[in-house]
Amino acid sequence: MSSVFSTLTESLIRHRGVLGAMVVGLDDGLIVESTLQIGVNGNAFAALTASLYRKARRSAAAAGFGATGFLELTAEQGRVCTAGGQELVLVVVCESRVNVGMLRVELLRAAEQLP
Amino acid sequence: MASDDIRALSEALAADPASLAFVPLGEALRRRGDLEVALRVALRGAERHGTRPDAHDLVARIAVDLGDLERAIVEWETVLRIDPAHAGARKGLGFICFQLGRLEEAASHLSVALSLSPGDGSLAAALQTVRDELAVREESSGRSTMQFSREAMAADPGGAAVRQRQTADPPARPTLGLAAVREQPDADAGALFDDLLEGQRSAAMLLDGDGLVLAGRYVSADGRDLAALIGAQLSGVSDEATRAMRHLGLGGWRQIVFETEAASVAMAPSRDGVLLVAAARPIPLGFVRRVLERALARAVEWLGGAA
Repeated sequence: MSSVFSTLTESLIRHRGVLGAMVVGLDDGLIVESTLQIGVNGNAFAALTASLYRKARRSAAAAGFGATGFLELTAEQGRVCTAGGQELVLVVVCESRVNVGMLRVELLRAAEQLP
Repeated sequence: MASDDIRALSEALAADPASLAFVPLGEALRRRGDLEVALRVALRGAERHGTRPDAHDLVARIAVDLGDLERAIVEWETVLRIDPAHAGARKGLGFICFQLGRLEEAASHLSVALSLSPGDGSLAAALQTVRDELAVREESSGRSTMQFSREAMAADPGGAAVRQRQTADPPARPTLGLAAVREQPDADAGALFDDLLEGQRSAAMLLDGDGLVLAGRYVSADGRDLAALIGAQLSGVSDEATRAMRHLGLGGWRQIVFETEAASVAMAPSRDGVLLVAAARPIPLGFVRRVLERALARAVEWLGGAA
C-alpha cells in the first residue's frame, strides 16, 4: 500500500549510493513511509536520526541560529542526511560515495512537501 | 554508562527517592546528552539533599552544558558555602569567571583550586593563562576582535559590516587550556583558527568533552566572546551523534553538518571533545566543511597528538 509520501521516498532511493529513504515523525521517530534496501534497519535510523535532528534544531535555536534545514551526519561507513518540516522529516541512509550535493538539493526540494 | 545502568539507577531512585542514586544517574544522563532530564533529576536531588556539595556540583555542571552560566555560578557558590575546599567548584567558577572576563575572580578561584589539587596540570596552565591575560590587560588598553554575529549576518549579507571593529593591538583574550602554545606569542588559544577564517564571516572553536571552550572564539557584534555559550548549546549535538552511532552500525561519526536560517554549522570529533565551525549562511556549505577539515588538522597539532 502506498501513501502520499511514497513518491518522495521512491525518488530519493533512485540516487546512486542511497540505501534507504524514509518519512519519519519528528517527535516520535516512527516511520510514516519508507523505501529501504534489504538489510537496512529503518526503525533504528528513523528513531535515532529524528532524535539527532531534534537536538540540532533545539541547539541551533538556543544558539540564536534560527530554524534548521538540512543536516548531514558522516560516519566511517556511511552517511545519513535529513531535512524536514515541523512534523515530519525525510531521512536518507547512504553509502559514503553518494553525491551529497545532489542529494541535498533533492532532499530540500522533497522536504518542502512535508507538513 | 550503558542504558541498562541508567535504567537500573532510575529504578533505584524510583524505589527510594531519598537515595543518592540521583548523582550517578544525573551524571550519566548529562554525559549522554539528555540535559533537560539530567537537570530535573539533579534539581530534585539537590532539593532533597540540599547540604550535599555533590548535588549542587552536578546541577552546576549540567547548567554549564546548557549554557546557563548564571545558574552554574549560583550552584558552585552554594557548593563552596558547604565545602570551601571543593576543588571542582573552584575550577568551574574559575573557568566561568574567565569566560566572563572577570579575570581577578578567575585567578582567585584557580589559585585555590590549584592549592587543593597541586598535581592538576590543566589548573596550573589555566592559572598561568589568566595571569598572563591580566598582565596583558594592564599593559594594553585596546584589543582586536573579529566581529561576528547573527544580526550582522542577517543585516549585511554582503559582509561589509562584519569584522568592523579592529584595532591595532593584539587579538582578544585567549581561552583556557592553552598550555601547548603559551610560548608562541602569536598563537594564543583564542586566535588559534583565525587565519583559517580569513576574510570570511565565520568562527571556529574547540570544545572539550564537557562543552567548555579550549580554543577559538565566537565574537559578537558588541565584542563579547560568545564561544562558551554557543559551544555549550551545540556540543550536545555531537553527544547525540555519539549515542546514535552506537546503534546504527556505521562506525564512529566523522562530521556533522547542518544548515540553519542564519548559519551553516559543521562539527567533528577531536579527542574527547568536538571542533565546531559556524559560518554565515551565504558562505557555501562546502567551504565550511573545508574550513572544518583544516581547523581539525590545526587542533590536532595544537593538542599535540592524534585527534
